[in-house]
Amino acid sequence: MPEQPIADKFKISPFLVLYMIMSMQIGIGVLGYQRIIVAEAKNDAWISVLVAGFALQFILWMIYKINETVNGDIVTAHIYVAGNFVGKLLSSIFIIYYFILSLTVQRSYLEVIQVWMFPKMSIFWYTLAYMILCIYIIYGGFRTVVGIAFFGLVLPSYLFPIFGFSLSLGEVNHLLPIFEQSIKDILLGAYKMSLTFIGFEVVLFFYPFIKEPKKSKKWAHLGLLLTTLIYTCIMIITITYFSMDLLAKSIWASLSMWKIVNFPFVERFEYIGIATWSLVILPNICIALWISSRLMKRIFNLQQKKGVIFIAMATLFAINFFPTRVEVNLLNNLTAKAGFVFTFIYIPLLFIAVMIAKKVKKT
Amino acid sequence: MKKKRNNEQETKEAKDEWEGEFIKSKDYTITNYRNQKSHLQFHLTFMSTLVDEQILQQSALPYLLEGDLQTIEDVKELIPLADVDVSNDKTKIEQNLMNGYVMITLENQKDQFAFIGSQKEISRGLTTPEIEFSVIGPKEAFVESIGQNLNLIRKRLPVKELIIEEITLGSLSKTRIAMLYMDGITNEENVNTVRQRLKNVEFDAITDSSYIVQLIADNSNSPFPQLLDSERPDRVAGTLAEGKIAIVVDGSPHVLITPTTLIEFFSSFEDYFLNWILSSFFRLIRVGAVLFSLLITPIYVAVLSYHYELIPIDLLGTLVASRRQIPLPPILEALFLELTIELLREAGARLPTKVGQTIGIVGGIVIGTASVEAGLTSNILLIIVALAALASFTTPVYKMGNTIRFLRFPFLLFAELWGLLGIVYAFCILITHLIRLTSLGRPFLEPLYPPRITDLKDSFIRLPFKFQSKRPLFLRTKKQERYNEKKAKAKIGIDIDE
Repeated sequence: MPEQPIADKFKISPFLVLYMIMSMQIGIGVLGYQRIIVAEAKNDAWISVLVAGFALQFILWMIYKINETVNGDIVTAHIYVAGNFVGKLLSSIFIIYYFILSLTVQRSYLEVIQVWMFPKMSIFWYTLAYMILCIYIIYGGFRTVVGIAFFGLVLPSYLFPIFGFSLSLGEVNHLLPIFEQSIKDILLGAYKMSLTFIGFEVVLFFYPFIKEPKKSKKWAHLGLLLTTLIYTCIMIITITYFSMDLLAKSIWASLSMWKIVNFPFVERFEYIGIATWSLVILPNICIALWISSRLMKRIFNLQQKKGVIFIAMATLFAINFFPTRVEVNLLNNLTAKAGFVFTFIYIPLLFIAVMIAKKVKKT
Repeated sequence: MKKKRNNEQETKEAKDEWEGEFIKSKDYTITNYRNQKSHLQFHLTFMSTLVDEQILQQSALPYLLEGDLQTIEDVKELIPLADVDVSNDKTKIEQNLMNGYVMITLENQKDQFAFIGSQKEISRGLTTPEIEFSVIGPKEAFVESIGQNLNLIRKRLPVKELIIEEITLGSLSKTRIAMLYMDGITNEENVNTVRQRLKNVEFDAITDSSYIVQLIADNSNSPFPQLLDSERPDRVAGTLAEGKIAIVVDGSPHVLITPTTLIEFFSSFEDYFLNWILSSFFRLIRVGAVLFSLLITPIYVAVLSYHYELIPIDLLGTLVASRRQIPLPPILEALFLELTIELLREAGARLPTKVGQTIGIVGGIVIGTASVEAGLTSNILLIIVALAALASFTTPVYKMGNTIRFLRFPFLLFAELWGLLGIVYAFCILITHLIRLTSLGRPFLEPLYPPRITDLKDSFIRLPFKFQSKRPLFLRTKKQERYNEKKAKAKIGIDIDE
């Protein structure tokens, strides 16, 4: 099926891809990724972050190569490789993937709220409110989704300098000696880190909405680089601030670091941080919902407005099956595994398949 | 009139079928005269409430009586007025009479009519702007007459590029509406959109430009005004030169400007009269004031209802001490005070100026102090609410100030529901709404989103004129350059030899 061309007024400027990628990458993970990486790579964890960040640049390059070759999104790529029926079948897996992703983000955030702010927060009502907001955003079209990605990144950026408070209490010696850990441990840390980095692959889905896609390439790579640097900075600050034993027990290390922040008028800064974080995860959920409903439209010709409501209702229903931390962890692990398979196994495979198909079609 | 209705019989003869509708109204007047040279009888028909009798007595009647009046075409030559027209179109009669024309008919040519424009122009004199007052700069403000308002704008842009298009709207009010734009600068698409939207307006009585705002706005279900209204001719002229479109409505002292962006509502035209450092500073203060006004009471409610740990111990002591005697929960306390302020504002706006001032003093001081002493509200909240109200009045555009005050209430509601989370949630809805909003199809949040760094030169801050050589990007003007940057010579000091 030839893809319907997208009108210019729905397209976005190339540089906005940077915000899309960064806001999709930065989500619930920032609040507590440190413990997991440090468990593998100890005080060299920041090297793992850098290694993972740079390895992913290569995957991003593949994503752009796939898109450029078929000149369309992942559905076009699937059809290009495997024909109409199988292509659509393959694509429809991602409807479920992004549905689960948004569910995971939403539920994990609620877990943070329940632990830190409101232990008795009603999951159902808050999810309902959030879903209504998401529907309102997606009804505004793709430009509104990108707008939320933009503000979801720019407005909460005031939180980043706040980490500076912990820097003043940091012990630089914690970092030394550098390269103490074996390469294997660092790579293992990098593998764990890559799960936090996941999110940039959304380019595969909204590629046709970019005005001059070629120009957006450098912005995408720059966005990935910036995220890498942000994660590295936070990791370095965390290592200097915590002792290894304490960090092993800190599930949400970033939140713990905000605790020491105080101003003459604000004592427990993490409350403000957590509240602001709902703006940070909003793009995560919105983009995931948008992709799911967009895929529904591409595959089943279902109106996107109906698709969104369908998925929102499914989320509202499904979120009740994860009442405690045990189930939330289960969900998180499942999503992480799926994300890993998608990013590091599926995308390179698809890349190779597209390249072969291109050769075959040429001859 | 001298010979007013001297001959009842003759008047009745002059009647045609078109007269029947008017005859009921008391101000409908028909008079008969006889020309002194040709002894031809002629009739003057007009609405006495609309016609300036001075013009009639001095510039029309003497010539009609003493000149050589043979045919209806002679009227054109005899009368020394510019607005004289001869026609045989009967459908024009009603329209012209109602627009203040005097109709002349000759007894021997009943199917031909001459119209003389002699409208009575009643307008108040120019006054100083009352809503958009500025200490520095011009003190003229628009009045209720479209002619005078157009004159005020045209005087400031005396070039042939300034185009005025006129259209009459309203099935009953027949309001004259003028659309102004700069030919060769303003985007054609914008002009066409405005023209089309004005043409599509279906309404009976348009009595003010606010009607047009609501009838042609992109989203009429938004609390945000999407067209800027100004009572300053200098502001309108300035924005026209930028490449925007102005809409002047007869009978309204407010001229509309479109397309517009959110940030423009927080910029006062005085900003351009001040040094750029000062005006940038004041703009930042205003934007800060809006955020403060919007968020401070909800934050008070959220913190005292849910997150008192957020407050450092010293500050908490002060807060607790002031709230110890208060029986109401924070939300009721805040709603009580917020509504009191709204009542005061509403009462102040409805009452005559002098009484209004008294109400302000009585309300502000007496009710405020009394409610604190009676233990209904804490004095800290009183300070917060009063400051928030004050901050909302710094918005230069009155309509936007109203919007800001209204938006506080949903924020309060969500603050009570989910504390800080609720405030962020309400904020997300607000941002989404603003991203979705457009003015004439152009994004309302520009240059914030879509982010356009070059347009930030005149947003939160105002950079010096030397950096303002390009027109705003979002207007998509035909001519981007305002002036040639290279031609603008560098200032040379007299006593510095270089």
